[in-house]
Amino acid sequence: MFELILVALVLPIIIGLITLPQKNLTSIRYTNLVGSALTSGIILAIINKITEIKVFSSEFLYVDYLSAVLLLVVALLTFTATLFSLPYMEKEVKEGHVTEAMIPRYYALLNLFTFAMVSVLVVGNLGLMWVAVEGTTLASALLVAFYFNRSALEAAWKYVMICTVGICLALLGTMILYYAQVNAVGEAHALNWLYLKEISNTLNPSIIKLAFVFILIGYGTKAGLAPMHTWLPDAHSQAPSPVSGLLSGALLSCAFYALIRNVIIIQGTIGTEFIHTVLLGLGILSILLAIPFVLIQHDVKRLLAYSSVEHMGIIAIGFGVGTPLAVYAALLHIINHAIAKSSLFYLVGIISQEYKTRHIKEIQGIARVMPAVATMFVIGVLAITGTPPLNIFISKFTLILAMFESKMWLLGGLILLLLVGVFAGLMNYCLKMTFSNVPEKMKPANVSPVALTAIGLSICLMIVGGVYLPTFINEILTKAAEIVIGG
Amino acid sequence: MTLLTVLLLAGAVILTRVSSLRTAVGILGFQSVIVALACLIIGLNTGEFHMYIAAVLTAVIKVGLIVYSLWKVTLQLKNEREIANFNFSFLLAILAIIASYGFVSKALPQVPGETLGAAIALTVIGLLMIIARSQAIMQVVGLITMENGLYLLGLSITKGLPLIIEMGIFFDILVAVVVLVILTHRLKYSFETTDTSILNELKG
Repeated sequence: MFELILVALVLPIIIGLITLPQKNLTSIRYTNLVGSALTSGIILAIINKITEIKVFSSEFLYVDYLSAVLLLVVALLTFTATLFSLPYMEKEVKEGHVTEAMIPRYYALLNLFTFAMVSVLVVGNLGLMWVAVEGTTLASALLVAFYFNRSALEAAWKYVMICTVGICLALLGTMILYYAQVNAVGEAHALNWLYLKEISNTLNPSIIKLAFVFILIGYGTKAGLAPMHTWLPDAHSQAPSPVSGLLSGALLSCAFYALIRNVIIIQGTIGTEFIHTVLLGLGILSILLAIPFVLIQHDVKRLLAYSSVEHMGIIAIGFGVGTPLAVYAALLHIINHAIAKSSLFYLVGIISQEYKTRHIKEIQGIARVMPAVATMFVIGVLAITGTPPLNIFISKFTLILAMFESKMWLLGGLILLLLVGVFAGLMNYCLKMTFSNVPEKMKPANVSPVALTAIGLSICLMIVGGVYLPTFINEILTKAAEIVIGG
Repeated sequence: MTLLTVLLLAGAVILTRVSSLRTAVGILGFQSVIVALACLIIGLNTGEFHMYIAAVLTAVIKVGLIVYSLWKVTLQLKNEREIANFNFSFLLAILAIIASYGFVSKALPQVPGETLGAAIALTVIGLLMIIARSQAIMQVVGLITMENGLYLLGLSITKGLPLIIEMGIFFDILVAVVVLVILTHRLKYSFETTDTSILNELKG
């Protein structure tokens, strides 16, 4: 197991290093395709091993069912993102948006980003987890700035500044947590997650409450929870589309994972009431703040970015409700959202490349120009808005069910109402973009089969996930929910 | 320790009134030297070996590499100056120090209040710089000031984090500065200025 994790960490770095000095675009493409397939395969092997041995823990590494859920997301998304990058970047070079010399750098950074995300999920020490989360910011910052034009620089600058300041507050919280640990039991096993979990009831509650506030603000900023979400629409809209998919699906989820790991310790000390109230509040605020921006949006990638804020809000509400069913639903929603949102970002990448704009009003008649892409786009938007029988419907439905089960009638009703609003807004834009008349200059376009494969894979998962959940995933989710509850 | 704390705060307060980028980077270097000295003194007092390593790391990374790379950038930015309301940020910095010593050192009574107050004040002043300043380099200086404050906080409440975590944090800070320097270069190259107030196009 230790070897597997080590390989999963080292492999992306090696592939990145192999890619960097290469000049031949074809060989770069094959290296990265094979590399990401291998990395994903090894991550899946780790998940498989976890279902047998339940917990793996060494001095600095720790993997259990909760990590397995997020590892699944990272394994899926790095593969589809790399696969989609191949045709996307080829086209960007052809159109002259990027030079050939920039391609190795792109893939090297992409691999570094994968490494940073995997390391967030496999470290078992809250201090090192902080280091890894900050590492994801730095690895992705240059990807956000990849085009180096005015708006990309602006987005990257805001991204690094806001996230680093936010994450510094999380460091402050982590230090306070360590202070509480030193006061209670001394310096041994400093910030080791498993150890902290065992001794969490001996920590000083008022100090831990202080730590929680800082940790929540810090990791909440990174996870895109309102009102700390301001970097998110900029970064997601300016990054290359494969990267936007990774940022939205995998990175936000990884930040959420870091938050949850801390919360599990903290709830052992101060109980769940305060934590759940705050998470519910932030979740509702995220949905409320995202909706007006979703309804009056002119940039299609920003539209998706605000929808991510909304979905992070839904996930926060799931953890805030806090019953086993609600946490199960929130974890399932992390997986479902990652699959659906990343494929939507890839689709929008193809669309904006063909139409040479991201302005919603200028994108018309996709159904005529690219029928296959249009079909997938409609399925993707139906999925992201939670339409049955697609995957997100299941997780949203379970979540609302959990709310009603714990007698939160008003809240459940409010969420349903808000979700209807988002559905109306997104469908309105989607249908207009897909089925309106084709502008004169647009001709039917050929879409690369590789790109369609990458997206088709996610679409299949979305459709299958709506009607059938494999038992082993169900088992992982149930066990992970138990870990979050504190079992 | 008291002398170091006073020097550190004085440096931070002067930082709020500086308009030349190079002076700001110089003061930042001075600040990091003091943090390294603080590590060294704690190491001498407690006899813990890992404090010496932390001191060396601070000296190499914060005083050496970070100041050097920022200095190199400022050499290319000859015409850049910070124009801000210095009286206002000066006042805010003083208020931050008063508040830190007045409230925070009473909140955690088990901790020696002297360095704790300074650490919180430094963190807040760094944050204020990031918010109030528009020059890219000034914001980076604010970020490092904030980080120095947090580091000092860690020193004063727990005698520092474990070494491996500490090394990770140092590495992160170094990479963050490298990324920000790359972005600053690009700003200069693309727009002839590193004033980040021009970055206001993305809205809604």
